Amino acid sequence: MAPEVLPKPRMRGLLARRLRNHMAVAFVLSLGVAALYKKAYADFYRNYDVMKDFEEMRKAGIFQSVK
Amino acid sequence: MAHAAQVGLQDATSPIMEELITFHDHALMIIFLISFLVLYALFLTLTTKLTNTNISDAQEMETVWTILPAIILVLIALPSLRILYMTDEVNDPSLTIKSIGHQWYWTYEYTDYGGLIFNSYMLPPLFLEPGDLRLLDVDNRVVLPIEAPIRMMITSQDVLHSWAVPTLGLKTDAIPGRLNQTTFTATRPGVYYGQCSEICGANHSFMPIVLELIPLKIFEMGPVFTL
Repeated sequence: MAPEVLPKPRMRGLLARRLRNHMAVAFVLSLGVAALYKKAYADFYRNYDVMKDFEEMRKAGIFQSVK
Repeated sequence: MAHAAQVGLQDATSPIMEELITFHDHALMIIFLISFLVLYALFLTLTTKLTNTNISDAQEMETVWTILPAIILVLIALPSLRILYMTDEVNDPSLTIKSIGHQWYWTYEYTDYGGLIFNSYMLPPLFLEPGDLRLLDVDNRVVLPIEAPIRMMITSQDVLHSWAVPTLGLKTDAIPGRLNQTTFTATRPGVYYGQCSEICGANHSFMPIVLELIPLKIFEMGPVFTL
C-alpha cells in the first residue's frame, strides 16, 4: 500500500508572511492610539466650563491683571 | 510651561496645536513602525544559521520597498499640508497686538483701541516672589482674551529673535525690517510661557514671553488698560 503523502508544507516566504501579518496588526493598533488622543481632547472640552476654571485660577492668584 | 524632564509636547491651548499633536502622534507612529520593522529584520538576520548564496535578482522585494516608502511619504505629507493650510485660514481677528523683539526684552503694543505700549523684561532672580518661575516670569505679561481670534504682528528692533509659545503652537521669527504675522485662538484661560527662539546675543535665554489668557468678558472690562 502506498504510504500516505502529506501535503507539501509551505517552505518559502515564511518570514515575509509573518512580517506582513504582524505589521498589519501593529498598524491597526496604532491607528487606535491616535484616535484615543483625539477622543481625550474631545472629552475634555465637552463639559469644560471656562468661567469655573478661570475662577479657580483667579482664586489661586496666578493672574496679574485680575485679582 | 514644561515640567522638569518633560520630553513630550505641552498640552494644547489652541485648535491648531491640537491638530499638530495629532499629526506628531501620526508621524511618530510611522517612525516606530519602520524602526520596529528594520530592527526585527536585523534580529532575524543575526539569529539564523540558514544561508542563501543567491541574493541577486529580487525584483518583487525591490518593487515593494520602493512603492511602500512612497506610500508612507504620501501618508505623512497629506495631513502635514492640511495643517499647513489650516494655519493660513482667514479668520478675521478681533484684536491685533504688535510684538517687537529687542536685545533682550519684548515690547508689546496694543494699538487697536488705545495706545498701550509696554516692555516685558524677564524678572531677575533677585526680584522673584515665592511661586514665581525662575528665568520664565516677566514683569509685564501679555494679557489677551480667549475664544477670540488674535493677530500677532512680530518684528525686531535690532537682531533676529523669535516669538514662541509652545502650548499655542506658535513660533514666528522677529526679523528687523520685516513684519511677520501669526494668528491664534486660545481655548482655555491660564498663564502660558514661551522663550525667545532665535539666537540673539548674550541674554538670548533670558527674554521669555508670558501670556495671560482671560475670558473675553473679563478682558472687555479693561483689566489690561488699568494695569
